[in-house]
Amino acid sequence: MNRSTRTLNLTLALALVAPAAIADDVQRSVDASPNGNVSISNVAGSIEISGWSRNQVDVAADLGDGVEELIVERNGDDVIVKVKVPRKKHRDISSDLVIRVPEQSSIDVGGVSADIEIDNVYGEQRLHVVSGDIVTQAFGADVKAESVSGDIELDGDNREMLTQLSSVSGDIDAMQLRGEIEATSVSGDIVIADSAFERAQVNTVNGDMVFRAQLIDGGKLDIETINGSVDVDFDGDVSARFDIETFNGSIRNCFGPKAERTSKYAPGRELKFTEGGGASRVTIRTLNGSLTLCKD
Amino acid sequence: MNDRDREQFDDELTAKARELAGDVEPERDLWPGIHAAIHESMQGPAATASVFGASFQRYLAQAAAVILLVGGSSGLTYLAISGDRDNVSPVAAGIELPLDAVSASFGSQYTLGPDFQDARRNVEGRLETELERLSPEARAEVEANIETIRTAIAEINKALAEEPDNVLLQQLLLSSYQEELAVMRKVNGITNTVMLRDDI
Repeated sequence: MNRSTRTLNLTLALALVAPAAIADDVQRSVDASPNGNVSISNVAGSIEISGWSRNQVDVAADLGDGVEELIVERNGDDVIVKVKVPRKKHRDISSDLVIRVPEQSSIDVGGVSADIEIDNVYGEQRLHVVSGDIVTQAFGADVKAESVSGDIELDGDNREMLTQLSSVSGDIDAMQLRGEIEATSVSGDIVIADSAFERAQVNTVNGDMVFRAQLIDGGKLDIETINGSVDVDFDGDVSARFDIETFNGSIRNCFGPKAERTSKYAPGRELKFTEGGGASRVTIRTLNGSLTLCKD
Repeated sequence: MNDRDREQFDDELTAKARELAGDVEPERDLWPGIHAAIHESMQGPAATASVFGASFQRYLAQAAAVILLVGGSSGLTYLAISGDRDNVSPVAAGIELPLDAVSASFGSQYTLGPDFQDARRNVEGRLETELERLSPEARAEVEANIETIRTAIAEINKALAEEPDNVLLQQLLLSSYQEELAVMRKVNGITNTVMLRDDI
């Protein structure tokens, strides 16, 4: 067997032994629609996404040992980016992705223990992660972000949109939003500030919540918590009917009316009053959580 | 004692009896309250409406509670079933769950029904499978938070046992069950979305 034949055999043998092994640093690009959908999946590590002016999806990946394949494919208006890992060993394989997408794209991003950071993407965003953090911006298109133990941070630009944020133990921070918001958490805290809503629904089990925003006339604010404290501080004047009830918490009301006992023999308190013309509706319910109601 | 003596004795006894106080003030007199209640109820339509209103409100609250419970538990059952109907793992039914299920009862009077319990068990069974895919830290985090919700449910149930007609407690309990299901389904959904997607 001559030298070149031995080399060829060795190359073939290596290819057979390790078919999944690929280079650590990989760069891939595909053409994309200017406002198509980009689906991205990376089990562990990090995902950075930014919008750019080109009609192209560009992926720079630092792939972990054991990654089977980096898939970057286009199918019509959809582009798929996926770090494929063996199902049984996925926990130990961490990859970092830096992705650029057309700035009007919608994105659908998933990770298990992957941090997600998004910048300058103008389309809709659907973001799901188990234990990583999510940091993103919104520009008027709907955002749905959910995490189990990671924090969620969303900055808007005061354009009308639907925002749905949910975490289990992670904290939620949402700023400069307008339109509708639904925010839920079990033990994480929720802060919603510098915003204006027609409809806002905020729920926690043990997490505290702060709502410092404007409630637009005709709007609706629903807050519910079991043990968390509630701090509502309206931006500017508010015109609303208030219906507040707590089973065992305290109520502090800067608007004047005092809470009343719901029963002589039980600890419950309720507070019902109208401020301004009563154009909006505010409903707050807590089991043990204390409540502060004020305006700037 | 002859008849005359007997008559004299009776007269003296009667005279002594007359010397006793005509009425005795009880230590805790309930009459003023009873009298006031009767007086109020006889004051005319306004007072009658007030008494009627109070009992009507109570019936209304109870009716609202029943509607809330029936509607709420049906909704929860739908929530538990919808979306999972096609995905229920056949293995899930046989799994012994380490996450102890709390009593799904509304205070001392109501239950969520067998359909809800079945659906909940299915979601819980799937969760157990999905949790195995997570790191020990993430798994512990999920379990701790589900335990937080279950502690809240137990706490509300305890309060409901004292006040079965409390609508606030009913609402909070329903929300807590909803939240428990939502968390379980969320974990199932995210891990499925990321790891089991065949479309990408």
